[in-house]
Amino acid sequence: MAEVVSPVPGAGRREPGEVGRARGPPVADLGVALSPQGEIIEGCRLPVLRRNQDNEDEWPLAEILSVKDISGRKLFYVHYIDFNKRLDEWVTHERLDLKKIQFPKKEAKTPTKNGLPGSRPGSPEREVKRKVEVVSPATPVPSETAPASVFPQNGAARRAVAAQPGRKRKSNCLGTDEDSQDSSDGIPSAPRMTGSLVSDRSHDDIVTRMKNIECIELGRHRLKPWYFSPYPQELTTLPVLYLCEFCLKYGRSLKCLQRHLTKCDLRHPPGNEIYRKGTISFFEIDGRKNKSYSQNLCLLAKCFLDHKTLYYDTDPFLFYVMTEYDCKGFHIVGYFSKEKESTEDYNVACILTLPPYQRRGYGKLLIEFSYELSKVEGKTGTPEKPLSDLGLLSYRSYWSQTILEILMGLKSESGERPQITINEISEITSIKKEDVISTLQYLNLINYYKGQYILTLSEDIVDGHERAMLKRLLRIDSKCLHFTPKDWSKRGKW
Amino acid sequence: MSKLSFRARALDAAKPLPIYRGKDMPDLNDCVSINRAVPQMPTGMEKEEESEHHLQRAISAQQVFREKKESMVIPVPEAESNVNYYNRLYKGEFKQPKQFIHIQPFNLDNEQPDYDMDSEDETLLNRLNRKMEIKPLQFEIMIDRLEKASSNQLVTLQEAKLLLNEDDYLIKAVYDYWVRKRKNCRGPSLIPQIKQEKRDGSTNNDPYVAFRRRTEKMQTRKNRKNDEASYEKMLKLRREFSRAITILEMIKRREKTKRELLHLTLEVVEKRYHLGDYGGEILNEVKINRSEKELYATPATLHNGNHHKVQECKTKHPHHLSLKEEASDVVRQKKKYPKKPKAEALITSQQPTPETLPVINKSDIKQYDFHSSDEDEFPQVLSPVSEPEEENDPDGPCAFRRRAGCQYYAPRLDQANHSCENSELADLDKLRYRHCLTTLTVPRRCIGFARRRIGRGGRVIMDRISTEHDPVLKQIDPEMLNSFSSSSQTIDFSSNFSRTNASSKHCENRLSLSEILSNIRSCRLQCFQPRLLNLQDSDSEECTSRKPGQTVNNKRVSAASVALLNTSKNGISVTGGITEEQFQTHQQQLVQMQRQQLAQLQQKQQSQHSSQQTHPKAQGSSTSDCMSKTLDSASAHFAASAVVSAPVPSRSEVTKEQNTGHNNINGVVQPSGTSKTLYSTNMALSSSPGISAVQLVRTVGHTTTNHLIPALCTSSPQTLPMNNSCLTNAVHLNNVSVVSPVNVHINTRTSAPSPTALKLATVAASMDRVPKVTPSSAISSIARENHEPERLGLNGIAETTVAMEVT
Repeated sequence: MAEVVSPVPGAGRREPGEVGRARGPPVADLGVALSPQGEIIEGCRLPVLRRNQDNEDEWPLAEILSVKDISGRKLFYVHYIDFNKRLDEWVTHERLDLKKIQFPKKEAKTPTKNGLPGSRPGSPEREVKRKVEVVSPATPVPSETAPASVFPQNGAARRAVAAQPGRKRKSNCLGTDEDSQDSSDGIPSAPRMTGSLVSDRSHDDIVTRMKNIECIELGRHRLKPWYFSPYPQELTTLPVLYLCEFCLKYGRSLKCLQRHLTKCDLRHPPGNEIYRKGTISFFEIDGRKNKSYSQNLCLLAKCFLDHKTLYYDTDPFLFYVMTEYDCKGFHIVGYFSKEKESTEDYNVACILTLPPYQRRGYGKLLIEFSYELSKVEGKTGTPEKPLSDLGLLSYRSYWSQTILEILMGLKSESGERPQITINEISEITSIKKEDVISTLQYLNLINYYKGQYILTLSEDIVDGHERAMLKRLLRIDSKCLHFTPKDWSKRGKW
Repeated sequence: MSKLSFRARALDAAKPLPIYRGKDMPDLNDCVSINRAVPQMPTGMEKEEESEHHLQRAISAQQVFREKKESMVIPVPEAESNVNYYNRLYKGEFKQPKQFIHIQPFNLDNEQPDYDMDSEDETLLNRLNRKMEIKPLQFEIMIDRLEKASSNQLVTLQEAKLLLNEDDYLIKAVYDYWVRKRKNCRGPSLIPQIKQEKRDGSTNNDPYVAFRRRTEKMQTRKNRKNDEASYEKMLKLRREFSRAITILEMIKRREKTKRELLHLTLEVVEKRYHLGDYGGEILNEVKINRSEKELYATPATLHNGNHHKVQECKTKHPHHLSLKEEASDVVRQKKKYPKKPKAEALITSQQPTPETLPVINKSDIKQYDFHSSDEDEFPQVLSPVSEPEEENDPDGPCAFRRRAGCQYYAPRLDQANHSCENSELADLDKLRYRHCLTTLTVPRRCIGFARRRIGRGGRVIMDRISTEHDPVLKQIDPEMLNSFSSSSQTIDFSSNFSRTNASSKHCENRLSLSEILSNIRSCRLQCFQPRLLNLQDSDSEECTSRKPGQTVNNKRVSAASVALLNTSKNGISVTGGITEEQFQTHQQQLVQMQRQQLAQLQQKQQSQHSSQQTHPKAQGSSTSDCMSKTLDSASAHFAASAVVSAPVPSRSEVTKEQNTGHNNINGVVQPSGTSKTLYSTNMALSSSPGISAVQLVRTVGHTTTNHLIPALCTSSPQTLPMNNSCLTNAVHLNNVSVVSPVNVHINTRTSAPSPTALKLATVAASMDRVPKVTPSSAISSIARENHEPERLGLNGIAETTVAMEVT
């Protein structure tokens, strides 16, 4: 399975290069010395200087995704291999280690030189290995799909339709069939209609792989977007996109925002407040009734959610916006969206804590709130897949703490060992059974002992949990929730 | 030594897992790795991303340290929160309301322009402001309108002037500026907007197109079954609508025909006037020689659609009479039940002089049948089931079976059964609606023109027609009529008299008494008198308690029990105004009421048979048993027509006199059955409560009112409290001549706590105390009043078929 590549970050980094070959002069064979600047094209891989969290310089391998020329100075959009796309950035020539440049492979109709099976790019895992072993650029190139693409002269609009049907089927097993069928003949089709995340990235375009907004000003924050977001194209060239903090409308300049604020009297998300405790409030917004806000919210969220798709309208979603109140109003902290009717037990579609509020417990608060809603509904739920890295960590952390809280709270009755079923945990927490099991596995709590499964709470687990709970100060108080679930299936459509 | 099985059982989510903590924990060596038994759950991440460096690092850090380490977090692009002009930008403060915020839907669009001015615009504004005053908002509104009016094609200056309600110079300045700015603008609009999808699908992969409509897979229905059901409902609806259309078309046709008939009638009348045929002699001559079809001469009152009835040829009249006679006989006989001797019906409409009662022979019946079956208008006459037969052999499982020792007050089942049969009545209505000169036995007087019907529950209904001859007729001594009453029965009143009357409209207003009498004598005018019960009635075996002498007396009473309520003529015009819709709804309601009654009957299993006696002869002649009951001869003679609406005073006597082929009220086929007759009355009443010409009389199954009343009271004790209030009602309406014991059917009604029932009971009570007050009058008034609420109650019950039967 892993041998099939799709142009998702970290995987098939080679398509752009192949593309470059297709339109430009064929790149010479490996090892041919090239003059440093003129030859750096999309698809090249080379170590790029980057400063890590510990303020140390490092030279991770990166791929050139795009090149632009600003007043005679070239800028290279690089993706660090095996780093998340959100770290992709424009770098200057100085940060490139041209000595170790790997040029993209010649279009290979023939088997690859390194003898890897198939003509397809390797999986991430394999790629990691390859990086370690061979620093050879001789990575396989997709052959049959390449000609299907039409490439404009500037690289920014190139489309890399390189994915294989098989790959798509695998990764998109929950999606509708049409996706894979249609894309196999080179005509990309719409993503599935349900949910708001795409797992099929086959139509990923070079455009959507690159951040297009440089900076967003939102209230007192300036955010650096992590991913592409389909704001109007004419706004992507602006150094800063100005958003109204309350209605999230975008403006091209500070003056525009000023003018807008004279007309916009919102001081909170335009929905009904369904939770308030302290300064934290939750607002419920119907994606059908409040389209403009929902769309603006989605556009903003897309800047920080890679897999989110804005392909379809917001009608089937509810948006729960978490705000923090101060004297200026209710400031958005984060939100999650939720399908009004989910066929797959999803209780969250997209979930985001805005970067300025991250790592302060708000994400877990959002997750906790989403499960509170599920409890009111009397259902178990799970977040829509795929999860992002941060999503996985946050959910795992929430699940772990929630389950451990229950397990440790169990008192032994009349000297007998306390016990609980997975279903009970699921019912108490509204966490879907599969997630309970995976969390127990992840925490390594399940053991098989004397013919039965047991849960073992080791001391470091208990200690770690207690320490973590001390830090977790923000909690949802279900008494502050005023929420009546609606039966959306009885309405005509969303 | 427990040997660990190689393969652990699958993890069962429903199985309790004991929890081991700290020191209790078994040595992990004893534990078996569960990886083999419990499949590793997927993380839910994209495979490619799962392997990302920072994530893996963070995961492993967590595994090791059991908590987050600052250095191991996943790096993200930085965010700053130090916009220093924030407080200047977001002016003012917002106080948190105590209540949760609840927004009103659609409150957000307050007509603010979407366009936000930028610095460049501000420069222009400053420049413009030197010459004139323009506010930023004003400018934004202008640009906003220009933008929204333009697509790819910019609006022209002319259009702009139409769009903007501003000074021309300002428009020009702003417009020019806008055009320039728009041309330099990179985007498609100065108001930045999300790219919209295009219908041709060319934008399917444009990454900047967002929020596409979910058109392709819009879910329509989830439940296929539901789908089918609603489809069928739609089909049914369509079918019924088309039926309604057909009905309306037929009504239209009918009304046209009615108009035609009126014109023809007028023409005839005019011709006769010119010929001086005031007595109708010429017309009769002409008519006799002609075939039936040419004899449409009934002067029609326009507003009474139901009275437009085709006159029959004179030759048939004898047969009709015979039919009536038989019918009444049948009714009488039917009502005699052995277990209820006191409840014997006294036919109100009997002739006062039994000696003159014509004995109708079998041959007459046959003759009638023969003739009637020949006619187009009597196609179903031959269908009937004979009464005795029915008595012996009730209709199958639906038949009512009496229990011993019970007093039954409910109406006859067959009647109820017949309420469902609508078609057969057409022919009989002719008879039913004929008005004749009517005389009551007690008080002995002539009440003018009326026709008798048997209403629901066997009540005898006198439909009076008020005419201008009334004063004259009242002078008629009933005895005067006795001499020729028997013979006069054979005379169809309508043809002659109507003409006379119609002509009278033109020349003279009144016929003299002598003229009328001469008419009667010459058999042009039909005269009807109640008669005493025949001896042949009493010899029917059920009549246990009766002795001939009593019978006579009883009959006197009962005959007198015809109540006539001729309150006024004011309602006449009202009735004419009944619209088709009203009529249709009434029709439906009538059927509803009938059904209800039937249901009640069957439920109660309690029938007090009205003691009307039926003549054995009647069976043959009657079309069906219900028919015969409906059309007992007495009633036919006695009852005045004008069911629905009283005719115009001037012609009323004439017009009501039909032996017509139309059995419809308001022109639509009227369902048959005695109860239906009553219903039709009710219908008329309810539709126009002001109708006064309708009289409701209940024939009594009991020989005296006193007998009945207890029955009523017992059957519906709950109604008694209301007596007092209703008593006034009854008293108030006491222009009724005779007390008529309330019929059995009243009881059945009372069994259901309907308002009608209540009032009936009160009527009964009132009878008790004020013997001279006629309950029938009260009943009639009740009928008038009560059917309003009843109708309302019935409205909910859908009944579609009545209207359909017309088509």
